Amino acid sequence: MSDNTQKNMLRKLLMRTQHKSRLWAALLALCIGTTLLLLSVMIWWNFRELLYGKSQNDTLGSTFLIIGKRVTEQNMGVANATVFQQTDIDSLKLAPQVQDVGIIGANHFPVYAIMGGKLPLATDLPLESVPDKFIDNMPADWKWEPGSRSLPIIVSSQFLDIYNYVFAPSQGLPQLSENSVKSIALNLKVGEGDKSEVFLAHVVGFSDRIGSVLAPQSFIDYGNKMYGKPGAATAPSQLILKAKDPSDTKFTDYLQRRDYATNSQNLRWSKIRAIVEVVTSATGILALLLMGIGTLVFILFIELTIAHAQHSLTLLLQVGYSPHYLSRFMIKRFLPLVFGTVIVSMVITIVSQIMASMLVKSQGLVLPLVPGWPVWAALVVSTGILGLLVTKSISGAIKKQ
Amino acid sequence: MKLSLQGVVPVPLREKVTAGKSGMWNTSVSFNKGEYVFIQAPSGTGKTTLIHILYGLRKDYTGDVKWQDRSLTATDNETLAGLRTKNISVIFQDMRLFPELTAWENIDIKRRLTNTVTESEANAWLDRLGLQEKKNSIGKTLSYGEQQRVAIVRALMQPFEWLLMDEPFSHLDHANTQKAISLILEVVKKHNAGMILADLDENNFFPYTQTVIL
Repeated sequence: MSDNTQKNMLRKLLMRTQHKSRLWAALLALCIGTTLLLLSVMIWWNFRELLYGKSQNDTLGSTFLIIGKRVTEQNMGVANATVFQQTDIDSLKLAPQVQDVGIIGANHFPVYAIMGGKLPLATDLPLESVPDKFIDNMPADWKWEPGSRSLPIIVSSQFLDIYNYVFAPSQGLPQLSENSVKSIALNLKVGEGDKSEVFLAHVVGFSDRIGSVLAPQSFIDYGNKMYGKPGAATAPSQLILKAKDPSDTKFTDYLQRRDYATNSQNLRWSKIRAIVEVVTSATGILALLLMGIGTLVFILFIELTIAHAQHSLTLLLQVGYSPHYLSRFMIKRFLPLVFGTVIVSMVITIVSQIMASMLVKSQGLVLPLVPGWPVWAALVVSTGILGLLVTKSISGAIKKQ
Repeated sequence: MKLSLQGVVPVPLREKVTAGKSGMWNTSVSFNKGEYVFIQAPSGTGKTTLIHILYGLRKDYTGDVKWQDRSLTATDNETLAGLRTKNISVIFQDMRLFPELTAWENIDIKRRLTNTVTESEANAWLDRLGLQEKKNSIGKTLSYGEQQRVAIVRALMQPFEWLLMDEPFSHLDHANTQKAISLILEVVKKHNAGMILADLDENNFFPYTQTVIL
């Protein structure tokens, strides 16, 4: 009670101002600046979470990609121009973000697939092989030994999609589920004329990672040795990379410098990431500018209030009030306003995070409901700096009296 | 707490003082706690300047002023605030009340800073100086005489070892001056404090022990 009476008297003497609109403008600018800052940090962090977070964002977090040397007018028809030498592979292993490099083997022998029964399909079929550790959804029976007539193959999921959604409807053929495809056997004729063999191939799995038909490495080696065309290139023309962050610009720059081509699907995130980084950086800079202006106007308002109360301040100091006591009194009046704007900004950020989380959930992606730690860190740092500036300006202005 | 001045010359009075020593300027003088000092001087000789220097409001002087062993020129504002709430009180010639506060608030804002005088005691002192009816009047609406009496009561709202007074009764009539001096002497004795009164003429009611003529 006693304390309140004294505070009321001090408030009457020191907190007189006729410029409330300036105060509201400063607080609004501070609030918008802080909100924008927190939102830009939130967006940047959310995007990181979507790309590399530990949640189940597999489609975004894909870390495997296939590369080849780009075919251009200059290297068309030039022998070995688009194959990878050992030095290329060694260099790639040391490239930014690259964790592992696998060679994609290809058949250098003719392969002809014939499907009987209700599906009268016959086609030349290129086969590829990759080291087992690069295969997603590794089937249990993924092996082949010379002498075996049965050949397991893995087909790209895209093939099944093309068949089901494009080819089958146009030809009046039945659509097929993954399991029904696995139950179908197809004859695979390897080699030409008298020098040929027929294998009974069956699909044992589907791959989202590889865009072709995979056969076990041992089969490709066997076919190349037995039926391969003499003089065919033995160096790989495609490599599969395991990259920690394929959207890292250092990595994409590396590929670009060497003119390596890859499926843009995996790198599209680097473009989006670059856009997000530009947008968040621009928003961040704008936010810092707004915060700076808001802080400046707020500090000017404080100094104006103190200047307005100069006579009272001088008298208070003369009757024995210490500069420290008066500074503390003023700080206690102004800091809650700063904290109020920060709380409003934080509430807006939390609501935005919840909305973002719900929005991406409908896309099958996962984002936490609470903003990530960088948002809280930005909040603490910006509030600390704001508090410090306000405290310093009040102490400084009172010391001048 | 002993007060000592050594060769103090205010910058604005330098030319006047160099013509010859005068009173407390440019000399060494000291006063002990409990002394009642009367500084008599005509207008323009530096009474107010002296009170302001002793209270630490002015630093534009040469020489040294010491409260006990502490030199005022080397005293920071925080320490000065401590001195002004525990050791030295002042009645300004121009009263220096807060014009937007009531008579009571002007007293109370000082009383609550030190919490050494009770509310009833402060009320009683206000009553003794005939200000009860003006208690809730805004400072700027009070007459000079009323303002002076409020300033006197406000100066007594703290513990002190020295009370500095700059023409404190200039706007008071004979009766009110007598009442004010009576109250001041009572409180000064209670604190076993000393007083320095700067005024134009000798005051019959002020029992000084030492006179200095500026």
